[in-house]
Amino acid sequence: MDKQRIKELEEMIQVVLLAIPREISAREFYLQAARKAFSDSSRKLFSDLAEQEKGHEAELRRILIELKTELKEVRDQ
Amino acid sequence: MKREDLKNYDGKDGRPIYFAYKGKVYDITGSRLWKNGTHVNRHHAGGDLTDFMSMAPHAEEVLQKCKVVGTLDDEVAEDITIDRMDVLRDWYRRFHPHPVTLHYPMGLYYFAAFMQLLYLIFRVPSFEHAAFYAFLGGTLTTVPAALSGLFSWWVNYQMTLTHIFRMKIIFSIVMLVFGVTGCILRFLHPQISTGTSPLSLTYSALVFLNVPALTIVAFNGGKITWPS
Repeated sequence: MDKQRIKELEEMIQVVLLAIPREISAREFYLQAARKAFSDSSRKLFSDLAEQEKGHEAELRRILIELKTELKEVRDQ
Repeated sequence: MKREDLKNYDGKDGRPIYFAYKGKVYDITGSRLWKNGTHVNRHHAGGDLTDFMSMAPHAEEVLQKCKVVGTLDDEVAEDITIDRMDVLRDWYRRFHPHPVTLHYPMGLYYFAAFMQLLYLIFRVPSFEHAAFYAFLGGTLTTVPAALSGLFSWWVNYQMTLTHIFRMKIIFSIVMLVFGVTGCILRFLHPQISTGTSPLSLTYSALVFLNVPALTIVAFNGGKITWPS
């Protein structure tokens, strides 16, 4: 069992895990801004930003699954 | 097409390459940008890629060249897809029960230790009573604080056991065990604080030891809010 790699993976998982709720909060923030927006252009801007945050969240979740899978593999070795 | 059926078109072992985007199912079989069902070593065929488009170096217009072979049965085309956990996360974000409840045991346990210390110095009975009732309150309010913490861990962090959460869980259990044991001892022996017997020392130790236990839980909670 590669203890150094396990430690690295656990630290990476922790970073990704703590980042996900921040992306969700940021998305919610932009969606609220979009709902309150007075013009179509600003509404579109905030909606686009919200969509980007959703993309970040999805990407982080994908990375999290990969890291968890690798951690399990390293631990099983 | 159901999501479960879509998973069969994963591009592996010669199977076709399908993916969903905003409710439509696309057939990308034969594309040189997809190798063995994987696109740029990141995105896998057989899944819904809607959320990933904003991260892509290309716009959704590239899909105009792709063949649409159906729609997802359970899907309404919309800009941002919603999963079931989003509902719970949204509820948590609105009411944030863990930050609301955790301050009660924090304040009460610290206050209990402070009053017990004053009692041991000055021997004023009302100080001991205040310490006990604060300790009892701290123990009772630890339950909703711990439960809301577990709920947050589930909806926000998929119950992933990292060092931070491990420490929070272990020392929350320690706190509860100390709290319940101390309360039982004090209920059974109302004069427990007056003597210097091993039981008396044990009771005071439980009241004081919950301070470092609580501090470790709070410190790790702070690491979640302000990661370094």
